[in-house]
Amino acid sequence: MSHVRQVSDRRTRPWAPLLVARVTPLGEVLAGGRVATKAARLAVGIFLSVALWRALYATTTTEAGLDREQAVTYAVLATVLVATRVSATWINGDTVLQRMQQGTIIFWFLRPMSARRYYFVRGVGELGYAQVWLLVALLVCVPSGVVLAPDPGSVPAFVVSLVLGHAIFYELGLVLDLLCFWTVVNMSAVQIVFFVQTLLSGGFAPLWFFPGWFRTLSLLLPFQGTLNVPVSIYVGRLPTSQIAGSLLVQLGWVVALCLFNRWLWERASRRVTVQGG
Amino acid sequence: MTRLGPGDPIVTASHLTKVFHTTTRRPGRWGALTSLVAPRRVSKTAVNDVSFSVGRGELVALLGPNGAGKSTTIKMLTGILQPTSGSVTVAGIDPHRNRERNARNIGAIFGQRTQLWWDLPARESLAILRDIFEIDPSDYRRRLGELDELLDLSAFWDSRVRHLSLGQRVRCDLAASLLHDPGIVFLDEPTIGMDVVVKEQVREFLRHQVQERGRTVLLTTHDMTEVARLAERVVLVNHGQLVVDGTLDDIKRRFGGSWQVRVTLAEPGPEVEVEGLRVVRRDGPVVTFGPDGTDPDRPDPNGTVRLEEGLRRIVERHRITGVAIEEDDLEDVMRQAYLHRDAGTVP
Repeated sequence: MSHVRQVSDRRTRPWAPLLVARVTPLGEVLAGGRVATKAARLAVGIFLSVALWRALYATTTTEAGLDREQAVTYAVLATVLVATRVSATWINGDTVLQRMQQGTIIFWFLRPMSARRYYFVRGVGELGYAQVWLLVALLVCVPSGVVLAPDPGSVPAFVVSLVLGHAIFYELGLVLDLLCFWTVVNMSAVQIVFFVQTLLSGGFAPLWFFPGWFRTLSLLLPFQGTLNVPVSIYVGRLPTSQIAGSLLVQLGWVVALCLFNRWLWERASRRVTVQGG
Repeated sequence: MTRLGPGDPIVTASHLTKVFHTTTRRPGRWGALTSLVAPRRVSKTAVNDVSFSVGRGELVALLGPNGAGKSTTIKMLTGILQPTSGSVTVAGIDPHRNRERNARNIGAIFGQRTQLWWDLPARESLAILRDIFEIDPSDYRRRLGELDELLDLSAFWDSRVRHLSLGQRVRCDLAASLLHDPGIVFLDEPTIGMDVVVKEQVREFLRHQVQERGRTVLLTTHDMTEVARLAERVVLVNHGQLVVDGTLDDIKRRFGGSWQVRVTLAEPGPEVEVEGLRVVRRDGPVVTFGPDGTDPDRPDPNGTVRLEEGLRRIVERHRITGVAIEEDDLEDVMRQAYLHRDAGTVP
C-alpha cells in the first residue's frame, strides 16, 4: 500500500499562489472570440466618443477648462477604463454573487489560500489585464493623433494615480460583492452602484462639465478617485499644485476601504451559506 | 505533525450540533411589510448531538434521507461551517479554526458543484490548483499521470469545463480533489446524476484510493448499490440525529425484518394457518406468507418472525412442492430506516 501523508506543512513553492493572477486573463484569451469582441467594442466606443466630443466642440474652443483635444482624450481614456475594468470576472463567473448562487463558494474555503487572498491576487491579474488594453489603446490612439500624448512630467503622477484608482475600484467592487454573504442576491444594488460610480467617476462625461455642487459632492465620495483624478492628470486639467493632495485623498480611500473590506471578509467567512443544500 | 497508525480515528465528531437561524416572511402584502420591519426569526436544528469517528484508511458511508443533516455534517467536518456546539477534529486539527492548514489534508467533492474554472480547459484548472496548493511540478506531473490512468482524463482535459459532460466534469473534480495527495476525502453525493458506466468507474476509483492508496473516505450517497459495493461501515442520520453507526448487517438486522415466502402446497386445503405468519395472497395452491408482526416465541427486534424460522414453521405444517423467497433489498431496508422516527442509537 502506498503511503498517503496525513498532515504536512511542507511548502516547496510558497510563491506559486501568486500565479492565480492569470485566472481572468487566461479565461479571456482562451475563450474564443472574447478578445476580438472586446477590441471591436472598444474601437466602436472610442470612435463614438471622439465623434461626440468633436461635435460638441464644433462652436467652441474651451469649455470647463478643457480644450477640444483634452476633452476628447478624457472621453477616450474614460471609455477604455470603464469598458475594460468591469466585465472580465463577471463573464468568467467568478464573483462572490455568482459563486454563492451556484453554491461553489465553498471551494474558496477548502484551499490553503484564503478566499481574501485569492480574490486579491485574481483581482490584480484582472486589473493588469485591463491595463494591457489601456496601453494598447494609447499605443494606437496617440500616434494616430486621436488622443493627446501625456506631458512627460506628469507621467509618474498619472501612473501612481492610475494604480490608486484601480485599487479604489477593486475595493469598491469588493464591498458590493462581499455584501452577497448577507444579501445573497444584490443585482439591483450592483446596477445602481455601477451607474452611480460611472457617473460620479467621470465615466459618462468629464466631471469638470458638471455644476459646482456636483463636483463638491463627488469630492466627498471615493468614485472620482477611480477615474477622474488619473485622467485629469493625464490631460493636464488638474493643476500641478493639487496633484499631491489628490493622490493623498486617493490613498486615504484605498486604506479606508481596505480596512473596511478586511472587516467584512472576517465576518463573511464566518457565515458561508451554501445554496441548494 | 500528528502521526496516526492504521485504523486510528482520523476524523472525530463529538456531540456535533448545528442550528441555522433564518427569517421567514409572513404571508400576504402586510406580511411582506411587517417582515421588513420586524422579521420573524426561525431556528432549525440541522444536526443534533451527533458523535462518530472514522478510522484511518476506512471508507464510511454517511447515509440518511434528504434533509437528514448529512451535507451539513460534511460541511462542518471540512471546516466550511462552524458547529453551533460540539467539536470536530480532522487529522488532529479543528477544521474551522484552521481552514487553510486543514485544506492541505483533505479533498472534497460536493455533488454536481465544480471547483474548476468554468471558462478554462480542465487541465488549466488543475494547473491553477497545483499553484494554489503549492504542489511541486514533478509531484504534480506524476499524480496527474496516475489520475489520468485511472480516470481517463486526457481524452477531454483540453476542453473548457463548460463543455464537459457531467461524468467528465466529476472525474476532473475527483482529480482536482486529490491532486495535493490528501489523506482524507469527503465526498458528498459524488455520483449523483451519472450514468451506470461512469458510476462504476468512479466506484472503482474510490475503491482503489482506499485499498491501494490508504486514503480515508467519508461518503454520502443515495445510491444503495454504491453503499453495498463500497462501504465497510455505515453511519445513518435522520432528523439531524445519529440513528445507527455500524455495518450494513446491523442496519439490515434492525430495519430489514420484512420478507415474503411464496409456496406451492402439495395438498391445498381450505384453511392455511401458520403461527406468527399471515397469508398475504392466495391463488389456489400458491400461497404467499409474510410475518404477522406478533410472535410470542422468537420475536426479532421488530417483533416479527425471522425468515428462517418462518420457513421452518411452514414446512413443518404443510407439504410443499415449490418455494420462492423475497427479502427486502437494501433500498427497502433504507426506506424502513428513513421512515423510522425513533432515533435511538444502535451501538
